[in-house]
Amino acid sequence: MPLLWLIAIVIALAAVGAVLGRRRALASADGDARRLHSLPSYYAANVGLTVLTPALGLLALWLLIQPLYVDWRVTELIPDAAIPETSTRGLVMSDVRRVAEGLDTAIQQGAMTEDEAARLQTESTDIRERLAAVGVALGSNVRPEVLTAAQRYRDLSGTGTTLMAVAVLLAAIGGLAVSVLMTHRDFRARNTVERGIMVMLIAAASIAILTTVGIVLSMLFETANFFGQHSWTDFFFGLNWSPNFRGNSDLGIIPLLWGTLYISFIALLVAVPIGLFSAIYLSEYATRRVRSVAKPMIEILAGIPTIVYGLFALITVGPFLRDYFAQPLGLGNSGSSVMTAGLVMGIMLIPFVSSLSDDIINAVPQAMRDGSLALGATHSETIRQVVLPAALPGIVGAILLAASRAIGETMIVVLGAGAAARLDLNPFEAMTTVTVKIVSQLTGDTDFASPETLVAFALGLTLFVITLCLNVLALWIVRRYREQYE
Amino acid sequence: MNDMRLIDRATDMTDVKIAARGVQVFYGDTHAIKDVDVDIQDKTVTAFIGPSGCGKSTFLRCLNRMNDTIDSARVEGDIRIDGEDIYDRRVDPVQLRAKVGMVFQKPNPFPKSIYDNVAYGPKIHGLAKNRTDLDDIVERSLRRAALWDEAKDRLQEPGTGLSGGQQQRLCIARAVATEPEVLLMDEPCSALDPIATSQVEELIDELRANYSVVIVTHSMQQAARVSQKTAFFHLGNLVEYGETGQIFTNPQDSRTESYITGRIG
Repeated sequence: MPLLWLIAIVIALAAVGAVLGRRRALASADGDARRLHSLPSYYAANVGLTVLTPALGLLALWLLIQPLYVDWRVTELIPDAAIPETSTRGLVMSDVRRVAEGLDTAIQQGAMTEDEAARLQTESTDIRERLAAVGVALGSNVRPEVLTAAQRYRDLSGTGTTLMAVAVLLAAIGGLAVSVLMTHRDFRARNTVERGIMVMLIAAASIAILTTVGIVLSMLFETANFFGQHSWTDFFFGLNWSPNFRGNSDLGIIPLLWGTLYISFIALLVAVPIGLFSAIYLSEYATRRVRSVAKPMIEILAGIPTIVYGLFALITVGPFLRDYFAQPLGLGNSGSSVMTAGLVMGIMLIPFVSSLSDDIINAVPQAMRDGSLALGATHSETIRQVVLPAALPGIVGAILLAASRAIGETMIVVLGAGAAARLDLNPFEAMTTVTVKIVSQLTGDTDFASPETLVAFALGLTLFVITLCLNVLALWIVRRYREQYE
Repeated sequence: MNDMRLIDRATDMTDVKIAARGVQVFYGDTHAIKDVDVDIQDKTVTAFIGPSGCGKSTFLRCLNRMNDTIDSARVEGDIRIDGEDIYDRRVDPVQLRAKVGMVFQKPNPFPKSIYDNVAYGPKIHGLAKNRTDLDDIVERSLRRAALWDEAKDRLQEPGTGLSGGQQQRLCIARAVATEPEVLLMDEPCSALDPIATSQVEELIDELRANYSVVIVTHSMQQAARVSQKTAFFHLGNLVEYGETGQIFTNPQDSRTESYITGRIG
């Protein structure tokens, strides 16, 4: 039975159950909803949820576990001798799965009957050819062990799927029966439903957290793998970045970190004053009409894809800086430079700083301003000495958020600053950042087991730790100095 | 001070500090204050009473041009302090506000230390020559606001950490520190408990020696306790203005009588 049908049946059962539950509850109260413990809709929701939750939960669990179980059972069928020198058990297993899928496709297209597929022999049939006829291309001739395993695989999967359908339907019907029988005028349906909804909310929150944990763990494993192959002193303290896919690479993170921090610094140098001043203008001086036009206009900047900023850096800002600043000053003639990427990234960050700061400045109570103005302070004295100090923690938070953005930015750097890892003070030189190198190490024809590729995970983890620290710092500052103006 | 000697309250000061003539205030299309004439005397506590929305706070805010900060507000008429028209183009509202201090309904200390809260005005206006001078001003102001004993050991702690009544006295100290000539108080006790209220009322009575105090209040008992002159506002009109004792015992206007006896408002 296809999965979609199964789910549809469970949902239909839930709907029927909801109607039944509602009726039964009303009947138990002689049709008077006021004599029920909860509103009738809660009785309906209770039955619906009791049908859906266990059935769909079981379905999800089954779908997760069945492939693992089938794999484990099928692997046993392949003797160690059947695994070629150059291959691994994992590769053979993926062959098995591929053949099994091929047989499924063949049956679906009518090129083979179910029976025939189960009784196929490598000796009598050229399986590779028959599968190629239905559009499944295999890399080599199918060996007998693989075919047996594939048939066994299909067999187990088929049985599993049937069992799953039965189990899920039983769970749904069981839930329906139990909950309908429990439905009675004194049954606390509202409390049960609300608890169920709370559990759902908790599950949603845990998924977000678990995903983060999963990302960190996968990075950690690959990073550990990398440090097993490459010395950590070179990675953290090496001043040279020159990956070499024939081995013996220098993989020092310092030049990349330097580029990252240098470009981010210039970007913040641009974004913080401009963003802050425009926030002050918008929140304190602008009339309502100007504000209603100007604020969305600034926020449009945040909606421009960074690749577009990158193009702007590449074809406009870069050549301009080279022709009018770098060359006349004798600072080199590179079109891509730290300055280019920094300036353009700064422009990108302006709305982050200005929009958040504007909200924060607006959140400072009017009573603070009135208090200051009533003491004879001017508008600007009020802003400098009362409003900004009160808004400072939030503003610092906004700046640190912008800094996290700057550190993680890639596209603008690729197009604006180039891809050459270099340790240099000259802002008109091409440099590059951690993120750009992660991309370049993982793209192209790469071997996923060499340190030159795995270094990307170490770089990513380092970056993650840095931005995490920045975010924690931002949170801490905001909490520590959150002005108690209430 | 809390006894209700209403008739024989000392009201021998006669020099007029603030003279308002034909004052009209509009918020957009709303006519909030209609043709108010009033003379506020020096070294006197004047209370503005009236039901909510009657315009008493609005009128108070005209006296230090705080209505300027509201875009839609428009003030017409003539308000003179010591004979000088405060809505004259040559008058800088910033300097005017240094002369006319204000305390708000809700205590609004700045998120700074107690010391910096009080020193804020003197610093802005350059009233202190040096640090010791400033220390003196802060101590004097806190003493005048009856907060010194409670605050002297915690001057560097944030002003927002004080209790509500202490915060309001801090705001009074802050207003007093700029040495204003007039002190406007917009329901200064409405957010305070009875004990803090009586402390602030006591303070108002003492401040009368140096300032002309104008207080907006919802509590008629408070008006009767602290003021020498009372003005009753109703629907944007100044209905009646006179000696506090006379207003409360022998009101001339039937609306005043209805309000103080609790029939309207």
